[in-house]
Amino acid sequence: MKNRLKVLRAERDWTQAQLADALDVSRQTINAIETGKFDPSLPLAFRAARLFGLRIEEIFHDQDPPL
Amino acid sequence: MNPSKPVENRYQSRIRTNVKRLYRWHSAWAAVTLLMCFGPGFLWHRALGLTLLAAGLDVAVGVGMILATKKFIEELDELQRKIFLNALGIAVGVGLIVGVPWTVMDVYHVIHFHANFGFLVILQGLTFLVSLLYGTWRYR
Repeated sequence: MKNRLKVLRAERDWTQAQLADALDVSRQTINAIETGKFDPSLPLAFRAARLFGLRIEEIFHDQDPPL
Repeated sequence: MNPSKPVENRYQSRIRTNVKRLYRWHSAWAAVTLLMCFGPGFLWHRALGLTLLAAGLDVAVGVGMILATKKFIEELDELQRKIFLNALGIAVGVGLIVGVPWTVMDVYHVIHFHANFGFLVILQGLTFLVSLLYGTWRYR
């Protein structure tokens, strides 16, 4: 799954630590999501969407082919 | 919600508190387990009542340690929980697949020393530690 977390964070001039604090996770988790090593759960994706004022699909993109 | 510039991440602060709690419970359990192991032989000369009391205390503190560990895992964020539980799963698995042949070899005298349970505990501990470090490195 691809995501725009790093871009959105950079647009707001936030550090990974600040974003981690806002989403109540570790900085390592933010880094792993941004680098595509870890896909967040739905609740965490919703928290990120609320934080950025966007819809989930505007942040996270599915890479799997359609069924 | 606007992220502020924190001195310490709220998450980190919470985990630090939980780690301290976990450390206290594990230390208490280790101390009571030592008392239970060596008390009957060295402190109260196998007095049944005191041995039973020590065993009961060991179980009670052990339950506290389990509950503290459960709380610790619940409060980890999802990536940390995944790393922790993966490491725990590997440690339990290694303990099982080594422990059974280890015991059988002792029963049939394939190995010429007693298959002490302590070795398995150390093996599981080391396996957990290595798995945890690997998981942390993998998602660094």
